[in-house]
Amino acid sequence: MKAFTAKLVDLTQKNAEVIAQQWAKDVKTNSKTYTYHGASEDKIILQAKDFYSNFQMMFFHELPYEQAEEIFEKYAEARYREGIPLHEALYALILMRRHMWLYAEFQAMFNAEVEHRQAIGSLSRTILMFDYIMYVIARKFWKLMKLELLAIKNTQ
Amino acid sequence: MQAYAAKLIELIESKAESIAKQWAADVMKHDRTPSYHSLPNDMVIEQGTDFYRLFRRMSLAENSYDEAKTFSWKYAEDFYRKKIPLHEAIYALMLMRRHLWLYAEFQGTFVTALEKQQAVESLNRTILLFDYVSYQVIEKYQELIIGSVERRLGAIKTLMMTGPIGGKGSTYKVGLMTIFLLVACILTYHYHATLKTEDIFTHLFYIPVILASIWWGKKGIFAAIFLGVLILTSHALFLTGIPISGDVVRAIMFVVIGGVIGWLMEGIKKLEELY
Repeated sequence: MKAFTAKLVDLTQKNAEVIAQQWAKDVKTNSKTYTYHGASEDKIILQAKDFYSNFQMMFFHELPYEQAEEIFEKYAEARYREGIPLHEALYALILMRRHMWLYAEFQAMFNAEVEHRQAIGSLSRTILMFDYIMYVIARKFWKLMKLELLAIKNTQ
Repeated sequence: MQAYAAKLIELIESKAESIAKQWAADVMKHDRTPSYHSLPNDMVIEQGTDFYRLFRRMSLAENSYDEAKTFSWKYAEDFYRKKIPLHEAIYALMLMRRHLWLYAEFQGTFVTALEKQQAVESLNRTILLFDYVSYQVIEKYQELIIGSVERRLGAIKTLMMTGPIGGKGSTYKVGLMTIFLLVACILTYHYHATLKTEDIFTHLFYIPVILASIWWGKKGIFAAIFLGVLILTSHALFLTGIPISGDVVRAIMFVVIGGVIGWLMEGIKKLEELY
């Protein structure tokens, strides 16, 4: 089962550059990721490539949630410091996931009958991993926001 | 409605309450949603049922994104008011999606080869709709947080004069500060040279010290330094018989107060930019 579900992640990793470019084009024009529009393309492509590489590492880890905490809290902090609002940061992640899938579909990766079953497995596992990542990122943002709010409270 | 999604949507519609109950049982004991543990069971089930019913409306609507708003905004407002942290509200949504899918799997909804194909399409559609809802809930939460920050910053923002008159780089603030400093010079001369006293008039100097720090952050400390130097120079010139220690303490306090407020204001300005 693991070999089937790994297919999507392996494909993503092998074509990380192309998928990251497609994602960057999307995120720079999507109305739900407004803050990214002015960002340097090279910088965000690198960001996506790093993300896909970290994602693969997490995907195959024995304790993916713990791994997500370790890797993506730093990712969240970096986006927070860049001034990206949480809803945009998370939507950019949603687009990363979508582009992974779009690329696999475009490559006609899951066509045969047996492959549909694999596709469900792949999708379910990928979604679960993204759920962990999004939870970790939202929690980190929330903590950072609370810290800032606390600083305000103390000044008043 | 797309044919592939019809099966799943029918299932959700007819079993909304059962799925919501399973979700509620999970979310109310899950270790990533601790704030839900103490919520009333009925209220949680109602939220779940509302969501699963929305699913049909979203699927039928011409613009699913707009249709989702009716639920997302209410969900965000309800849980924000109940002080549920955003990441828990989001995780609860993820569990909603997971339970929907688990229920469909458990019922053996997608068994044959054709159904498996439909399952992939349904799964994609479900994810898209959930993505919309998640985005809207997070956006609404952010809006509510900004509202709360604005309310907390209300008094300070008035003093900051960030409006068109007192905006950044405005000469209005510079003009006002010049008047304050001129008045300070006149008062110092009057008390030191004419009345020969170092009376409590220096307490008034805290007004320009504090305002300068609020307006210009750390740079505002220059007003405090100016006032400190002013009273020390004036003391040395006109109050030769009186020990200077009292004015030294006053001058140090101006700089300390100005520095601390300026430092705190930098934090507030950063926060304002962030939101």
